Amino acid sequence: MKDQTSYKDIWIGSEDLGREEKFIELATQEMPDASIASTLAQGGSFASASTGRRDFLKYLGFSIGAATIAASCEIPVKKAIPFVTKPDDLVPGIANYYASTIAQGGDYCSVLVKTREGRPIKIEGNSLSGITGGGTSARAQAAVLSLYDTHRLKSPQIKNSEGQFEAASWQQIDDLVSSTISPTSKIAIVSHTMLSPTEKQVVKDFQTKYSNTTVAVYDASSSAAILRANQLMYGVSMIPGYHFDKAKVIVSVQADFLGTWISPIQFARQYAAGRKIEDPKDAKMSRHIQIESYMSLSGTNADNRIRIKPSEIGAVLARIYNKIASAKGGSTVSAPELSQSIAASVDKTANELLSASGQSLLVSGSNNVAEQAMVCAINHLLGNEGKTVDIEQYSLQRQGDEKSVSNLMTSMNSGQVDALIILGANPVFELPYGAAFAEAMGKVGLTISTAGAMNETAAACRAIAPSHHMLESWGDAEPVRGHISMIQPTIAPLFDTRQRETSLLKWIGDDNTLLITDQPYLEYLKKNWASHVSTQAAWNELLHDGVFTYTPESSGASYTDNLASVASKISKPGGGTEITFMETVAIGTGLDANNPWLQEMTDPVTRCAWGNYLALPVHFDGTRKFIAHENLSDGDLAEVTIGDQTLKVPVVKQFGQTPDSFALALGYGRTVTGRAGINVGVNVHPWLATDVDGLTQYYASGVTVSGKKGKEEYFSCVQYHHTMGVTAEDAKTKQTINADEAATVFMTYGLVDQGFQGSLVNRTIIRKSHLDHVEAFSHDLAEERHHHQELNKQQVYPGHDDVYARGHQWGMHVDLNACIGCGACTVACMAENNVPVVGKREVSRHHEMAWLRIDRYFYGDVDNPSAVYQPMMCQHCNNAPCENVCPVNATNHSAEGLNQMAYNRCVGTRYCANNCPYKVRRFNWLDYNAADLWPINEADLGLESDSDDIPYGADNLTRMVLNPDVTVRSRGVIEKCSFCVQRIQEGKLRAKTEERLLRDADVKTACQTACPTGAITFGDSNNAEGELSKKLASPLNYLVLEEVNTRSAVNYKARVINKAEGVDA
Amino acid sequence: MKDDLTGPALGGAQERWSEYPQEDLYNWIRNSQAMIAAGHPRAVEMWNKYKPTVMTSFPGFTDEDIASVLLFIDEQYNKVPAGPVVAAGGGATAPQDQPGKYIYFFLFAILAVVVSVLSRVIYNLRAMVAAEDGVDIPKQKSLLQMLTSKGVVGFLIFALVVFGGYTTVNNGVSFGRQQGYAPEQPVKFSHATHAGVQGIDCQYCHDGARRSKHASIPAANTCMNCHKAIEKGSTYGTQELTKIFASIGYDPSTDKYVENYDQLSNEEIKAIYTKWIGDSYMKDNELTSLDRKGERTVSEQWEGIESALTNDLKENIAGPIEWTRIHMLPDHVYFNHSQHVNIGKLACQQCHGKVEEMDLMYQYAPLSMGWCINCHRETEVKFTGNDYYNTYKQYHDAIAKGERTKVTVEDIGGLECQKCHY
Repeated sequence: MKDQTSYKDIWIGSEDLGREEKFIELATQEMPDASIASTLAQGGSFASASTGRRDFLKYLGFSIGAATIAASCEIPVKKAIPFVTKPDDLVPGIANYYASTIAQGGDYCSVLVKTREGRPIKIEGNSLSGITGGGTSARAQAAVLSLYDTHRLKSPQIKNSEGQFEAASWQQIDDLVSSTISPTSKIAIVSHTMLSPTEKQVVKDFQTKYSNTTVAVYDASSSAAILRANQLMYGVSMIPGYHFDKAKVIVSVQADFLGTWISPIQFARQYAAGRKIEDPKDAKMSRHIQIESYMSLSGTNADNRIRIKPSEIGAVLARIYNKIASAKGGSTVSAPELSQSIAASVDKTANELLSASGQSLLVSGSNNVAEQAMVCAINHLLGNEGKTVDIEQYSLQRQGDEKSVSNLMTSMNSGQVDALIILGANPVFELPYGAAFAEAMGKVGLTISTAGAMNETAAACRAIAPSHHMLESWGDAEPVRGHISMIQPTIAPLFDTRQRETSLLKWIGDDNTLLITDQPYLEYLKKNWASHVSTQAAWNELLHDGVFTYTPESSGASYTDNLASVASKISKPGGGTEITFMETVAIGTGLDANNPWLQEMTDPVTRCAWGNYLALPVHFDGTRKFIAHENLSDGDLAEVTIGDQTLKVPVVKQFGQTPDSFALALGYGRTVTGRAGINVGVNVHPWLATDVDGLTQYYASGVTVSGKKGKEEYFSCVQYHHTMGVTAEDAKTKQTINADEAATVFMTYGLVDQGFQGSLVNRTIIRKSHLDHVEAFSHDLAEERHHHQELNKQQVYPGHDDVYARGHQWGMHVDLNACIGCGACTVACMAENNVPVVGKREVSRHHEMAWLRIDRYFYGDVDNPSAVYQPMMCQHCNNAPCENVCPVNATNHSAEGLNQMAYNRCVGTRYCANNCPYKVRRFNWLDYNAADLWPINEADLGLESDSDDIPYGADNLTRMVLNPDVTVRSRGVIEKCSFCVQRIQEGKLRAKTEERLLRDADVKTACQTACPTGAITFGDSNNAEGELSKKLASPLNYLVLEEVNTRSAVNYKARVINKAEGVDA
Repeated sequence: MKDDLTGPALGGAQERWSEYPQEDLYNWIRNSQAMIAAGHPRAVEMWNKYKPTVMTSFPGFTDEDIASVLLFIDEQYNKVPAGPVVAAGGGATAPQDQPGKYIYFFLFAILAVVVSVLSRVIYNLRAMVAAEDGVDIPKQKSLLQMLTSKGVVGFLIFALVVFGGYTTVNNGVSFGRQQGYAPEQPVKFSHATHAGVQGIDCQYCHDGARRSKHASIPAANTCMNCHKAIEKGSTYGTQELTKIFASIGYDPSTDKYVENYDQLSNEEIKAIYTKWIGDSYMKDNELTSLDRKGERTVSEQWEGIESALTNDLKENIAGPIEWTRIHMLPDHVYFNHSQHVNIGKLACQQCHGKVEEMDLMYQYAPLSMGWCINCHRETEVKFTGNDYYNTYKQYHDAIAKGERTKVTVEDIGGLECQKCHY
């Protein structure tokens, strides 16, 4: 589209594309800010920055003295404590798996919980689930850490006369409730979507006893408009079941269905099924057009993107509707005008949809009833009903309507509510009128929250009846009609908590015989499922599988064209600057904001961690510079003003962001939560507007963004960390420069046509093609690889090939077409391998420890680029450059092709990290686990309060999440991806014990099992029958940096897109 | 054998049935319920005493089978109880002084004499030369002068540095190793009695060894499998075994587990077990009340129980026995028992020594990395018979061709870092 684009093919950010000095500096700094002296100087812990001779002597004397004392000590006596009575199903050292479900709000994931010695330590997907199919999300993976959250409430709490919470007993809580409420009391229950049919039954029972009980269900990320629109058009309040796998053309208008919208794990799985290329000769894949106002995860994966402002959603949907209605014989509606280029693109999108009638799907994240009614009408007219849109087995993952809460608030303010019970939700933080809600709570006689940890709403309550964590609870979930998923406890409650359903049962009280049992809610649950599960054996089987399906009765949904009654309510495009409030994959609406794994996981799109950052559109000046609003650059602070409220936020330049618009994430800026989430980022919820129907709108217009108002202190964007940059010496100046830069200078700007990828000169990092040319591309790729392999015939260490042909040879295959960048694997890797959380300050200094990162590259049009995600972990090269530079042989090669890392041998020279072309080795700069005795070695987290400034995960409660099969690394050693060697060894042992050959199912890496789309395949490449060998046969495979002859063990399958001409805008 | 449990003691059954025909006893063993139904007086008496426990029926037993079982019981019952097995002495014998050492001392002495004689000769010769030349005869150096001369002092410092370095390195290398470590345990448990005399299989108690990385110390309920019947030890009587009962809450006086035992106070627990110890003492000594020695025995044994089951961190007597751990691998070492026991088919004794002869358990092997590695170098993999190893086709081919006689653990990667460190 733009001729300038051709000079650089693939890039990672605007500084990269513009070859700015800052980028070159960052990319070439291998280990920036390295010396301990500079750390001390910055922290001000020592008087001087440098270590003088006297200091040196002091340290030397101290070390020798300490060593002498240590050496003369006797070995401490250790105890070995066996069970008194050992449970039959528990063998120390052997993991047990329990099927359960992570259901929170409307989010759903069927899982297997791995427990060791009774402690849950890892979440795996449950492949028996028809919804998630064994896939997980980052949030599901991180759920196990929130079990061990030090911020969890240890007992019930009641406020004293001074308004301070004091620990109470359950008897006191129950007495408080029973003394306040009577069967005629006006009671209100506030909850997020309840996925559990049994919980709903408990609430119904509660309403039977207390007949004046109203239930207000809302969702922090509302889909109420879809429910209402379907009520209008189909007569049923539902979220239809979508089938992205059956659609040839997918159009999403502002719905991030791969990242955050309704059921991302399920949708990602379906989506990838339609995007994988099995055979280049007969290549087929769906076409995905994303129309949106910010760069979402779905947008980065799309074939075509149309950039609109958030207020233009209505106009876009109306235009598509009219186009389709006129083709299919429906009545048209009046549509607001769109700019010429967008209108043309939208028309082409409509044509795409029409050309795939019955095999297309349009979804929208809009929260406007009229717009969602149009979505219903479009899919109906296209004949998608019953094909890609299921109105029978529809989704139950969003059931909330925020109007119910605002109505409730009115009653609360007029004193018509005697008691308010908050079931798990956090309305004070999540609702735009949260502060007003908190004020209204003051007018209610009894306010009680069942939050497991203190949050903004619980803090405003009079009493807290803390509920169990999901992994301590019984329960069930019905995410889609007919699909039931069970929740069973995997550990006895850690604290004096009580499941919220049990609390409700207690408060219903008196005649309930279940209450005298040990676990009342378990009995209730069993009773509720008695019709489906009659015997103990059937119950056991159900808990074993975790899921079952039944055929629900007909939903009774049938289409009536009621669009005309609401069509005029669609949003009207505004003129000014607008801002979109979106969710990030990790934090969502902020329920898990106190989870350090999720905070440290980098956002796939912006690649920032620990906070929300204002996405700025970038504008190409036609020569070299990429200019953002007010000349702001990454990490600058700017003031955002909407109405009379101003917030100071850090910014990032974001490709693909609609011009004259911004985006900022929800869920940050929590004020009452644990130390990992408190005051991280800014809270934008109060900025959310409400439309005429009382529905929350996730954008605002009339926003002003100031120029630079300072610099973010610890700007945690990893975009330019660990880039695969190469340095060279400039011939004239003798200075070290980026080799890319040198080549660019040599070729002069704008004239170079090809060969510039990422930060490297003509190197194999990303290989990509278009669906129409994929066969020719596979031949080109073969030729290129052949060329490399010819050059690589010369080896430093020849004669090892027969070693690698013997026994196992571990390898991996990553399908770049299936990888959507969701980051579930990165969190799974942290959980499996005890990777420490380092905190915001350390991330800002390039010290993040993640073994597996997902690189995001842009390519194509500079204003509206396509993106490709590349999971990058240790490539386990057979010619590993890291191995032969280690002076102590701490990293070396195994006969099974593993690049081994022996932590106890490592002396921390970091030569290996320097020499690794993939930049996957991580150095323990500091003692991130508080493993040694010297606090000076611990990381400074840069938190406001120093009192709890110990590393995340250094306390004994959080340490319970550690995987006992993996060493916790100490300060001063290098670590990196081990291909989950503990799982390899376990799988081999299983095969040996059962005296059979190893099967694929024996060894699966943590990243592989976490992936919702099956992008990662791990296995033994010497096993010709294995799944890996089949995947390795694809002609679309390539090795990253094959030309440098590292002989890596990770094959990447090239990215192929199905871009339509002229649809982008 | 000697005591009544869920049913009558096995020993002496024949005497008790002697007033009835032998046939009755045989029928009773084959099918007790039929006899009860038939109303045999002895059978009904038994049933009333032990119901509802039903004795297992063995309808397939021939008279010959039953006769041999009874003969075995008789032999065991009437056997003179064996005295405690005398400890084998383990590795306690002092190392024999080797004759070699004396030779070195002897040589050193001879050399010292030779040196002094020679130096005297040299001095005399020099003196003679000097006398001939008419120069003053240099005064002979005193021993002190010689010892404080530069050469000697220099040599001594050098020797000290070498010796010090050698010792430091040696101690550094073995730092944290505890071969031979034999701490006193809270319970005087004797492997020699259990594994040696009684011949109990190691894996009966250490059942983790065949299925997990940990062999695990058995839970107290494993002890109770046998010690519900054997309530007094062969060596220590009630002194040691009562510790196990006090840990798990088994009352040997009533042959029942105490209900809600973990909620009892230490005083209540004391009452239960001092009664048991006292009663046993009286029974053994055929007394009707405790004498002074008996009282002392009770209080001593109770103190022993208390100190074995409580410590600074554990106030309650109820709860697990805290053994002192002997075998310790550092955290960065992965070791899996089941790999070695199941796949490698190693005998426990290979690494743990002759445990069946140890009264007091001690660490037999150094458990050093060199020790592991050496074994991996030498040990042959059980290559045939386990289909897993068909993965190594090349080795199988080489063996078939005769190019290779065996495959060691080393050959399949047993020396690689990440076999044990990850």
